[in-house]
Amino acid sequence: MKLSAFGCLTGLVVLLSAPALAEDEIKIGLIEPLTGSVAYNGNSVVEGAKLAIGEVNAAGGVLGKPIKLVIEDGQCQPANSVNAVEKLVQKDKVALLVGAFCSSATAAIMPVAQRYKIPLITAVSSKADLTEQNNPYFFRAAETDALMARAFAKILATSLKLTNVAYIGVNDDWGRGGVEEFSHDLSDLGVKKAMVDYFDHGSTDFFTLLAKLRVAKPDGVFVAAETQDGSILVKQIREMGIDTKVFGVGSWATADFIKLTGDAAEGIYAAVPYASSMDAPRNQAFVKKYQDAYKIKPGKYGAAGYNALQIAAAAIARAGNVDPEAIREALHKTRYEAPNGIYQFDAKGQAYGFEAVLVRLQGGEPKVVASSPVDAPH
Amino acid sequence: MHFERNVLLAMLAAAVLLPLVVADQYLLHLAVMALFYVILASSLNLVVGYVGEFSLGHTAFLGVGAYTAALLSNRLGLPMWATIPLAGVTAVVFGCAIGAITLRLQGPYFVIITLAFSEVLRIIAGNWVAFTNGPMGLAGISQGGIGDKRGFYYVVLALAALSLYLCYRFVYSNIGRGAVSVRENRYVAQSIGVNPFGLALRAFVLGAFLAGLAGGFYAHYISFVGPEVFNFAFTASMIIMVLMGGKGTLIGPILGAVIVTVLEERLRQTQELRLTLFGLIVILVVLFLPRGIVSLMRPRREQRGEIGRMVPVKEGAT
Amino acid sequence: MDLFLQFLTNGLVVGAFYALSALGLTLIFGLMRVVNFAHGEIYMLGGVTGWFFTSALGLNFFAALALVIVSMAVLGWLVDRFLIERVRDQGEEAGILLTIGLSIFLANLTLLVVGPAPMKVVGPLTEGPVFLGPVVLTKLRIVAVAIGIILIVGANLLIRKTRLGQAMRATFQDPMAARLAGIRTDHIYACTFALGCTLAATAGMLLASIYSAQASIGGLVSLKSFVVVILGGMGSFPGAVVGGLLLGVAEAMWGGYVATGMVDIIGFALVIVILLFRPQGLFATRVERA
Repeated sequence: MKLSAFGCLTGLVVLLSAPALAEDEIKIGLIEPLTGSVAYNGNSVVEGAKLAIGEVNAAGGVLGKPIKLVIEDGQCQPANSVNAVEKLVQKDKVALLVGAFCSSATAAIMPVAQRYKIPLITAVSSKADLTEQNNPYFFRAAETDALMARAFAKILATSLKLTNVAYIGVNDDWGRGGVEEFSHDLSDLGVKKAMVDYFDHGSTDFFTLLAKLRVAKPDGVFVAAETQDGSILVKQIREMGIDTKVFGVGSWATADFIKLTGDAAEGIYAAVPYASSMDAPRNQAFVKKYQDAYKIKPGKYGAAGYNALQIAAAAIARAGNVDPEAIREALHKTRYEAPNGIYQFDAKGQAYGFEAVLVRLQGGEPKVVASSPVDAPH
Repeated sequence: MHFERNVLLAMLAAAVLLPLVVADQYLLHLAVMALFYVILASSLNLVVGYVGEFSLGHTAFLGVGAYTAALLSNRLGLPMWATIPLAGVTAVVFGCAIGAITLRLQGPYFVIITLAFSEVLRIIAGNWVAFTNGPMGLAGISQGGIGDKRGFYYVVLALAALSLYLCYRFVYSNIGRGAVSVRENRYVAQSIGVNPFGLALRAFVLGAFLAGLAGGFYAHYISFVGPEVFNFAFTASMIIMVLMGGKGTLIGPILGAVIVTVLEERLRQTQELRLTLFGLIVILVVLFLPRGIVSLMRPRREQRGEIGRMVPVKEGAT
Repeated sequence: MDLFLQFLTNGLVVGAFYALSALGLTLIFGLMRVVNFAHGEIYMLGGVTGWFFTSALGLNFFAALALVIVSMAVLGWLVDRFLIERVRDQGEEAGILLTIGLSIFLANLTLLVVGPAPMKVVGPLTEGPVFLGPVVLTKLRIVAVAIGIILIVGANLLIRKTRLGQAMRATFQDPMAARLAGIRTDHIYACTFALGCTLAATAGMLLASIYSAQASIGGLVSLKSFVVVILGGMGSFPGAVVGGLLLGVAEAMWGGYVATGMVDIIGFALVIVILLFRPQGLFATRVERA
């Protein structure tokens, strides 16, 4: 973070001393939470993004110029993210925006991007209605809760033989969305709802919630939680002696989560758009590069950052110049070969065609149990 | 009194002329945020500086104002010039209710109960999905057709000028002087017939009104309102602005607001470093500069005024 | 009925933790009339330094705990001698502001140094469920409650039976008279603050071994501790215990029977009710009305 601060300051100084529009580099703005409770995951996105840009620049950059990543801390807050976008667009004059991690922050900056007519790609925000806003400048290079639910509900119900599932989610738009989508799809397949409950982000003691869970006696527990909350919750589930199968969405297959949760992570299922153990050769190359750079295997967020920036760079190259309209049209023509499949955008800017996997954590590694392509929404 | 008024008028003139000189949208954005914080800091200053009590829950009124404007605009389609005053009025209602309960207490009890109220509002706003859209917040609030930052700048400048005018009139009225006497010595003030509770309530409610106006503006400017408007972060910023600038003065909060806004942007990349510095500044201010930066500006004047007014005792008088 | 017992047990356990966390706060207020808004950050530092000693230095739990106690006592002593001492005669507001600034400073400095991620503190024994009839507990929690009780009783004995405790109470009653009697009041103030900090930090490390240590929890802990202290009465030990248990059980019942998502609201609602009808709390000795 200090490096990017330094880089930003240097960028600002350069800008201030050379106010002319002709530049010798192309700027892409990246807004992620670098502080706050999801900073863990936000920093992973930044790491993946930097890896991508490093590769692109090593290969000669785009349109003959290197790409400069201008990173801002949106803190997953709408107001801060809007401020960050203002700065990136007005001061740094970026060609393209990537951000802002949390769906509420992304929702806040989408109209701003539209007003300034700068294309915006989100690598993480999964709330389904973001692509329903008729915003032609918005692209989502990620899955939505709805698509994940559709991709995996059947597999989960049949391979885990679920009949009665409890749903637990973090009390925000993402958690609620995930629970609603999965419970809806699983119920359609005849799986009963044992209980539905939400917890506040940052909770440390889940015993009351888990007491209710124990009494409900489900044969599966669905959890929508991120690294911090999720690891504590899972640990306490095991501490309470609850042996039920647990499956979740979120950052469950990442190395951070596995390290934090320790032994309690054994046997947990996760439905994720990316896992480092996915089989394709492209992925193995990516995992190696990531490990060499950061000493840790990439997870969902590192891959998300990497993919989004690769898509961005490729679009600028395809456009042939930094005109936002040209970039936007080029984005629609994307056919990007990612470590986890092929990304394409539909008319509303929703990505499809890539693989999502169901993994089981065994021996501290996410083992792929099943995979399913994320289809275009209909 | 005259000194303050002249300085305020000079600042107003400079502020009016600013957009004619500055066209950069980003700097204008900073200026808008600075003026927004001027309103907020002045409103907190009424409670802290003129009632003498420390409200950690002041952001409740900012939040109430922001949500009111957002809901009125989104659900009922009211225009900006209607929602912002209504936001202020709603905040006044909350101010009366909360003030009536909390102003009975003093010292740390007041601090905590005001904090409790704003936390309760935050939790309700974050959970009442049907009304406030819960953690998802209210997005896409109309910007009143104002495209250029300059438009917003003049709106917030008008609000800031109104706020400072109201503060000025309050402070230099009988009510204001009464409030100051309560701050200085509650029991003596009571003994001369000043009603501390009533005065405190008036100051508190005016502070709530101004914070509500600011909240209404915020909703339209940022175009998104979520439960984070009730966060402690706003309160912390307000406290630092008032303290650093100088509580109990009219100019102090303005200085504090401008300095802190600039600092926040300059140190944007390093949020934790910025906040560490803020904490350090608060400690240093409390230890070494309890009256804020304003006290650096005119200690001489006050002293001279005091001494000048002292009547020399005649020789031989008893 | 089973569910009720489970909720009750959860509530009592968490309540005991709340009580332990709030002890330092009530002590400092009761003996020094200083409202320490940095209380949560001291608690957090207890957890973070505990992590440092167990993970980075590899010490076992009790050795690390001893080190934490010593280092946080020193920190508390220094804070009082060099910061609070200067504003002691300026009234309560200066102390409040100073400790608010201190809390912001400590929280963010720690964030800068260790980062926002939760960190594991190795506990005194391995975790595992314990079944008492229909109720589930865990080994670590039982141990933590036991240690907490020892601490509460120990601190109470210190105040009531030792010379240092007597000197503290004398200084609180009348600083001038205490000085006349030969007590070095500035030294006593520093010791009191150090004691309060030690209690907070010990609670922090103990609970960090059950949950995790994290740089950003200070704010929530401060709030919960204030709720407990207001419920029980500022300056009262039994008040802190009862207040803590009350808060824990109320939260568990609300979370269990109504909704887990809005649990924090119970504490604030209780605070508002108590401050309206009995602002001195359930057990306190002083009244602070308008």
